[in-house]
Amino acid sequence: MTATGDNSKISAIVRAARIITRMSRLNPEVRQSQIMYYQMLSNYFTRLQNAGENGDFVAAHTVFFPAELIYAMGLVPMHTETTTWMTSLFTGECGDILEAGAHLGLASEICTAHRGLAGAFSLGSLPRPDVMLWSNMVCDNTAKSGELIMELCDCPGFFIDRPFKNSEHELQYLTGELEDMVKFLEEQSGKKMNWGKLSEIVARIDRQIELVRQINELRKTVPSPFRAQGFLELLTVDYLFPGQPETIEYLETLYQELTDMVQEGKGAVPNERFRLMSLFIPPMYLMSFLEKISREFGVVSVIEPFFTFWGEGRLDPSRPLESVARKSYMIPEMRMYGPLDERALGSIVDCARQYKVDGAIYYADVGCRHSCATIKLFKDTLTKIDVPVLTLDCDVVDPTITSEAEVQEKMERFFELLEDR
Amino acid sequence: MAEMTTESKSRLHTLDRFREITNTFPKTSQLLEHKQSGKKVFGWLCTYVPEEIIHAAGILPIRITGYTEETDLDDGNAYLYVNNCSFSRSCLQMGLRGEYDFLDGVVGGSTCDGARRLFDLWRNYIGTPFYHVLTVPRKYTEKAHALYLHEVEEFKEHLEEFLGFKIADEVLRASIELYNESRSLLRELYELRKQDKPPITGAETLEVLNASFRLPKEIFNQWLKDLLDEISTSRITHSGRARLMLVGSVLHNPEFINAIEEQGGLVVTDELCTSTRYWGDPVILNDGEPPTQALARRYLNNFPCARMFPSDERFNRIIDFALNYKVDGVVSQIVRYCVPYCHDLPLLTRRLQEHDIPTLALDVEYGTSGSGQIQTRVQAFLEMLEAKKK
Amino acid sequence: MKAVGIDIGSLTTKVIVMEDNKILSSAIVDTGDDAEATAKQAMAQALEKTGASSSGDYYTVSTGIGGKSISFSNQSKAITTCLARGTCYLLPSARMVIDMGAESSTVVKLNERGRVVDWANHDKCAAGTGIFLQQMAKLMQIPLEEMARLSLNAKGSADITSTCAVFAESEVISHVHRDPPTPMSDIAAGIYSSVISRIMALCKRVGIAKDVAVAGGVALNVGLINILGKEMGFPVLLPESPRFLTAVGAAIIARENIDKGLG
Repeated sequence: MTATGDNSKISAIVRAARIITRMSRLNPEVRQSQIMYYQMLSNYFTRLQNAGENGDFVAAHTVFFPAELIYAMGLVPMHTETTTWMTSLFTGECGDILEAGAHLGLASEICTAHRGLAGAFSLGSLPRPDVMLWSNMVCDNTAKSGELIMELCDCPGFFIDRPFKNSEHELQYLTGELEDMVKFLEEQSGKKMNWGKLSEIVARIDRQIELVRQINELRKTVPSPFRAQGFLELLTVDYLFPGQPETIEYLETLYQELTDMVQEGKGAVPNERFRLMSLFIPPMYLMSFLEKISREFGVVSVIEPFFTFWGEGRLDPSRPLESVARKSYMIPEMRMYGPLDERALGSIVDCARQYKVDGAIYYADVGCRHSCATIKLFKDTLTKIDVPVLTLDCDVVDPTITSEAEVQEKMERFFELLEDR
Repeated sequence: MAEMTTESKSRLHTLDRFREITNTFPKTSQLLEHKQSGKKVFGWLCTYVPEEIIHAAGILPIRITGYTEETDLDDGNAYLYVNNCSFSRSCLQMGLRGEYDFLDGVVGGSTCDGARRLFDLWRNYIGTPFYHVLTVPRKYTEKAHALYLHEVEEFKEHLEEFLGFKIADEVLRASIELYNESRSLLRELYELRKQDKPPITGAETLEVLNASFRLPKEIFNQWLKDLLDEISTSRITHSGRARLMLVGSVLHNPEFINAIEEQGGLVVTDELCTSTRYWGDPVILNDGEPPTQALARRYLNNFPCARMFPSDERFNRIIDFALNYKVDGVVSQIVRYCVPYCHDLPLLTRRLQEHDIPTLALDVEYGTSGSGQIQTRVQAFLEMLEAKKK
Repeated sequence: MKAVGIDIGSLTTKVIVMEDNKILSSAIVDTGDDAEATAKQAMAQALEKTGASSSGDYYTVSTGIGGKSISFSNQSKAITTCLARGTCYLLPSARMVIDMGAESSTVVKLNERGRVVDWANHDKCAAGTGIFLQQMAKLMQIPLEEMARLSLNAKGSADITSTCAVFAESEVISHVHRDPPTPMSDIAAGIYSSVISRIMALCKRVGIAKDVAVAGGVALNVGLINILGKEMGFPVLLPESPRFLTAVGAAIIARENIDKGLG
């Protein structure tokens, strides 16, 4: 029941997170909410690092898998994609991890996130989990990762089949899947689901989503108060600590900070010139570079339809499992999962209008097939309302795909295009 | 170096008209006649679309495919981007260029990313009058069956609404029986390939299959009966250096199989979206059961696509076939960027190895004719298999 | 005040001088190692032709690969912006322009006001460019102009399937040395088809919109333009001096700035 295996790479993340937290506390320019965020990251990975010693049950799970269920049962979650990204970021071993993935027999066309994930497990860079939990959110790669990892780690697993369309019928099917998953987890861990705790968590997730909506409202202000890459924090808190008390604290603190900035008329970047919509995720290794560009050119990302723009709906804590299922249809990224009908496209147009965006940037991760297939469609949709779109070919993790110089040149041309209008 | 030998100089001439279908698609005479008589044609994609419902509505169902040969896919690339499988790009390009303008409807399943996006783009850029996508669960549980049945019934209702009339149960049963006949005839054809010296090659079998989803079943069944008749009286047989099984996703170009067989690798059986996954299981009609239920059960349980969970279902069926057809080696042909099949490959290779069956993994573009590098690798594989036999 | 546009390309530097809305003169000089010196030289030449001296009243906008490094220009602009403006001025009905330069090809989509709506370019690969054509002509051992003329007379088109310039080279070599050798006219046509198919792929990425204009040195290649028109399915528009289109665009932006009172 205890997690074994080499987890020296986890300690790298823990060390880095602790250093960043310490340094942030010393830096007067860093917001309180940011410090809280780094502290949360640090706690998350520390708990993971110590799980073996503490005899904790580690449940590895893929992105968008409802970690709230793992928390409700008092188990230790490990978000596989994020942990792999962070490992490669802090150890610089991206190449090794990807090569290991190739050695397993995984073709190079499989996106780096999942090839890397399998590679990382095979190298023992991630702690060996007690179970592997995964779903088909949000693509075939995720749906197919689980079985290989189960073999690599010699652990049992459960696959959640999340159906395609958003109908009551399919919602009930998904709820049924979650029920079965809970039973499986109870059997494996020897612990029972704490339904009361789950209700509390659901209530907090409802509040969490509301807070993100309120924060987004503030971002509509001109100038926009939230820094360009800040949306990654909003994304990560739902990935790693959904419905946790610290998450609520963090969001409330952030909300207050932004409210103060709005009242003072302060923007995230001095001299805001361009308000952009970010489609998909910028490469991890370019984060600080993009921050620099934001300040230099007065660019701010005011909304991210697939990351921060939550779908409508409230969650009912008295029906916790159904609410968790319902949440999966509200998750911003599910908007692009499909089907891409008038409603889905209309919501992107809506986003662009509400946030008065000047343009959009599409970070085209070359490994991500299903998102690249939407580039033209979204571009055409936004062109109809006169919003230009810049497409940047890149990879979320692999730094060899595009260079800072290329990105700089393309962005400058794009800003010139926007300026020229 | 012994290559594939064909005894008897004559060839099966009942094969010719099957080949003609592929050569002239989508402008085959049968399709044009069908449209001219005022009837409708629907295109479907993926073996999880219950064709019989379309047929029972008096509509001719044909499978959406791309170009037979590998070709420039600039239009497909502009919409689907270069990192989606060339199959989806090829299909989309045909659609964008108007080659599927004769379709009155398209029906798909939410099966894989490539198909899903193909349908998203089709909906937005190609105005086919009727459009429907079924949600296909990835599991075989009771709940999954219930969901899929609901989807099948919803599809039927949507179609009835579009056409303005109901599809009667007896009509649907009749369609099911017609399709079952196709399936059992195809099974008969396949059984012949179990022989030590089969009367038909893998490439020829694919030609028959290609025609099966491009013709009214009534015509196809007759043609296939004629072929089986000719085979029973002919003395043509084939043998090779090794008996192979071809596995993978989509394959339409018989040239690819030809390239393997010309070197002596006789393809005696296969597991492809265009072969056994298509006709694998019959629909079993139970008394007192609505035909939609029988359909839903068959389609979800049918020879699995790599998207289904658990993967062992697919692996076990492949191994069954490999053993039954006394296969020496397996050739996996996966279209580049076909994620579900790529992910399965490491595990499948291991399972086959447990049965002492080696696998050759080929990474291809849809429509490839199998020249150059592929031939070299097949050559090496065959040599290895021959050495193993000694 | 005169408006000056300077386009510094990898092979040549072009200058256009305008006053009000009229083009007064132009000059073209080979780009040397010192972009600044070349630009000065070209500008001096152009101004001389107008009868003015280099120390007159003028506003300069520079562009091209050396555009930013010109110390004496008032402003530097991206090539895409200048392409859009220049196209709008010279061929007002065009909504798309293909710039086939020596080292890279760029496709720009523009609106009726000469503003960039979208663009795409090939910067990683030589296959769609002038340098590629020069290399191919060398392999065939004929001058570029001869290749163009030959392609017009081609009965067929040799298959050159590689998307990569390096592999295409070996295909061309094999065609030249085949027995019997593939007719030169067919090889030329095949090379052009391969170049054009790269261009078409770029165009489709941004979505083809009529009218389509062509700019850059490679646009002077009759054979290429012929095949491009066939692939498009309609004739493409050629400005009088395609090499100067970008510089014209730069000059127009210079004039706009003068009008805004920035001079």
